[in-house]
Amino acid sequence: MSAYFPFIVIGIFTGSIYGLAAMGLVLTYKTTGVFNFAYGAVAMICAFVYWQMHDAWHWSAWIALPLLLLVVAPLVGYIFEALFRPLAGLSAEVPIVVSIAMIALFTAIVVIVWNGGQARGLQPVIPRSSFHLAGHLFVGYDQLGTFVIACLAGGALWWLLRHTRFGTATRAVVDNRDLASIIGINGDNVRRTSWILSTVFGGLVGVLLSPDLVLDTNQLFLVVLGAFAPAVIARLTSLPWAFGSALVIGVIQSIPHKWSSSGLTANIESTAPFIILFITLIVLGNQLKESGMAVRSVSASQASDGLEADEVAHAERARRSTLIGVALFVFCIFLPNIVAGPKVGILTVGIIFAIVGVTLVVLTGWAGQISLAQFSFVGVGAYIVGHLAGHNGSNFLGAALLGMAVAVPLGIIVGLPSLRLKGLYLALATLAFALIMDGVVFNDVRISGGISGIIAPRPRIFGVSFASTTAMYELCLGVLGAVLLAALLLRRGPIGRRLLILRDSPLAAQMLGVNLTITKLGAFVASGVIAALAGALFGSAEQALNPMNFQFSVSLTAVLLVVLGGRSVLSGAIIGAVTYMVGYLGLLPIPTAAHNYIQLGVALGVIGLGRNPEGTFAISQAEARRSMSILKPRPRRARVAALDVRVRSHGPAMEAHSGV
Amino acid sequence: MASDLTSPSAVDTGTVPAAGPAGPGASAPAGAILSANGISVRFGGLQALQSVDLHVLRGQITGLIGPNGAGKTTMFNVLCGLIAPTEGKVVFDGTTINRWPPHRRGRAGMARTFQRLELFTRMSVEDNLVAAWESSHPGALLGRGRATRKQKVAEVMELVGLERVANRVAGELPTGLGRLVELGRALCTDPRVLLLDEPSSGLDHGETQHFSQILQSVVGGRGNGEPAVLLVEHDMALVMQVCSTITVLDFGRRIAAGTPAEIRADAGVRAAYLGESDVA
Repeated sequence: MSAYFPFIVIGIFTGSIYGLAAMGLVLTYKTTGVFNFAYGAVAMICAFVYWQMHDAWHWSAWIALPLLLLVVAPLVGYIFEALFRPLAGLSAEVPIVVSIAMIALFTAIVVIVWNGGQARGLQPVIPRSSFHLAGHLFVGYDQLGTFVIACLAGGALWWLLRHTRFGTATRAVVDNRDLASIIGINGDNVRRTSWILSTVFGGLVGVLLSPDLVLDTNQLFLVVLGAFAPAVIARLTSLPWAFGSALVIGVIQSIPHKWSSSGLTANIESTAPFIILFITLIVLGNQLKESGMAVRSVSASQASDGLEADEVAHAERARRSTLIGVALFVFCIFLPNIVAGPKVGILTVGIIFAIVGVTLVVLTGWAGQISLAQFSFVGVGAYIVGHLAGHNGSNFLGAALLGMAVAVPLGIIVGLPSLRLKGLYLALATLAFALIMDGVVFNDVRISGGISGIIAPRPRIFGVSFASTTAMYELCLGVLGAVLLAALLLRRGPIGRRLLILRDSPLAAQMLGVNLTITKLGAFVASGVIAALAGALFGSAEQALNPMNFQFSVSLTAVLLVVLGGRSVLSGAIIGAVTYMVGYLGLLPIPTAAHNYIQLGVALGVIGLGRNPEGTFAISQAEARRSMSILKPRPRRARVAALDVRVRSHGPAMEAHSGV
Repeated sequence: MASDLTSPSAVDTGTVPAAGPAGPGASAPAGAILSANGISVRFGGLQALQSVDLHVLRGQITGLIGPNGAGKTTMFNVLCGLIAPTEGKVVFDGTTINRWPPHRRGRAGMARTFQRLELFTRMSVEDNLVAAWESSHPGALLGRGRATRKQKVAEVMELVGLERVANRVAGELPTGLGRLVELGRALCTDPRVLLLDEPSSGLDHGETQHFSQILQSVVGGRGNGEPAVLLVEHDMALVMQVCSTITVLDFGRRIAAGTPAEIRADAGVRAAYLGESDVA
């Protein structure tokens, strides 16, 4: 038994970190209804600021630490409060997407300020020497200190919420913010305070955890994601539950160290928090409720994604965009003749990204099912091609079809939570799925090929070889064209309507006779299958496969870019892909540093979109149309109404279905 | 004010079985297309419904009324399959359907509207109706029956009076038109029974009158007294005007059932509900 003690000690250390983070997450969710996906990014930026003060400028920890926790972290919290306040009550997807954009924002800032965010060490705040407890058991002062700090912080927070005026005010605001404001409680103050407390906890997490990792833009963030599980186990409401289950998860994650240090078991062990998160979400299912904040329905003008009241104009517009699409497509066919060789490879990846973008538009924009795991499907397609397409790629077609077939059960697994969960919890479940795929599947040496990786062949289909970069490009372009055409036809037909009504009112759809289970799973499976096809192409196009290409963070980027482009329109996928090529893949001859600013711009753009979740492009289109219609007013009866919609689309969301 | 309103809807409905007021616990009368028998629902410690009977009769508009919190919405959701009753049976056209999920009930001919509008906000009014038709007709996803669909949608739009706004985006319509879209959508599913949840809320007097006229023209339109209508309403004048039979709930119990005249005369109902303001 005593052999377990060292692992329990490590587990309690990890658990304390999870506990701090989970309490920070629960606190802001309770008071503001925002689940902060960017919590790890808060910890990260705090750790970098601390590194700057303490390790780079050699300030004493006695100055740097108070400065961090009393000035910097609260400032971050203040920013969060200011950004999320206008989003209160919007549909759950908006704060999700905005907080994902916050991750991108903080990452971009770190990369810009700290020299590309290169890995560096952070000196420990608490000395790492250890003391002898009993038998063979040594406990590090840092481990003990972290546990004590977490207990003290958690206890203080609990006391604050239980026994002070702030606590009473918080509970009042959580219960009913309108009533609370009537009796003179300033809800804004309560929310601001809880954001600040939450980011201070995040700062603590960053400073306490970083010395055990290398400080970069990835690791710290990933570890903090582990705190999502205890937060959800606590149903995003109970602080003691969050802390307690965090300790348990920390210990569970550490104990198996005794038996294995590599291979599948080790992968499962390090993924334990995400597996627990996924299972918890499925088991708790219906019991999980979105926070008590009344959800304002998205106003019609926001929801109509540029669908014009005037059907004639709508048809005109559709014809015009189809024309533009066809012209673009023809242009793309001749593009390899214009641009230099290496750029064709980038264009190919961009085209594959656009295919994935289309699956996101269909799933998220049309059917209203958020998915943060789309690139996991891409990875499945890519690795199956990498392993099974044969030396000269003659089995490419079979491997691609197999990848698509494997995507069917996987799509059902990702879709399962959607039967009982929506909005935030669905997003969390898909994120957990992506993290499990990263940790267990793509991290497995037998699949990824370890350090040397594996090389996928260029395809040979029915004797036709696509070995050259240009041929590969044309193959991908052809597939994108086919996928776009299919999506376009679907959108106009019964299946498109079926998907749209799933997002607009699942309740009404159900009562009209729609089987929600089949429809939702169908949407997840179809988009997963096409993403796997994109993955097969990606494998053959890139050839050298790297698990990083399919990481959850790529899925998050894809969601951001598609949202930026307009998640309800197919052009959104294209605009997202173009942004990806320019800002992330280096299509244009611009300095590397400029890419960081483009990524920063993408993050800011999405954050700015908060008020109009349908995409900047939709806004600019609406604006363009409005100014056009002012220039040449057409005497048509529905014109006035249409204009009215556009004007309203710039105001805050209105109660479109007040009904009562 | 309403003493002259003795169930005018009977005029429209032609030959229908007489609406005998069913006593508590009675089995379904012959004319019932949809019956709730002895329904009880408990939410934790709260007894939301206690052994309630309700019969929706062919060829009629049946009213379900009661003060706030009486259990009307719960009853409605039990009928639709959104809430499973702790006790009792829901019988649709002779078949017990307790275990049917909502979409199966929809396909079988039960259609409903919502108090808080549940429109397909991003689609045009016409597409709302088209989507409804497609949802309830198997094979429609594969494009089958397009001609039938066109005809049906056109018919319903004319009946409900939505041609004017056919191409407007549903989400931008005022509540009154929104209610009509929901009614039209329900009608596109070829319903055998129509369940209407507070259709007059948010409507002014004129709109309510318009709605009730449409409603009366719809009842029994398919023959054999179908669709029958269940109307959950706050607006007493509307209920008294259009309903042939009324069931009154209070605190989860059925306190009365009968014709409007009987309900109006019922002392218990007056005490519980009508009392001070409306009918006095």
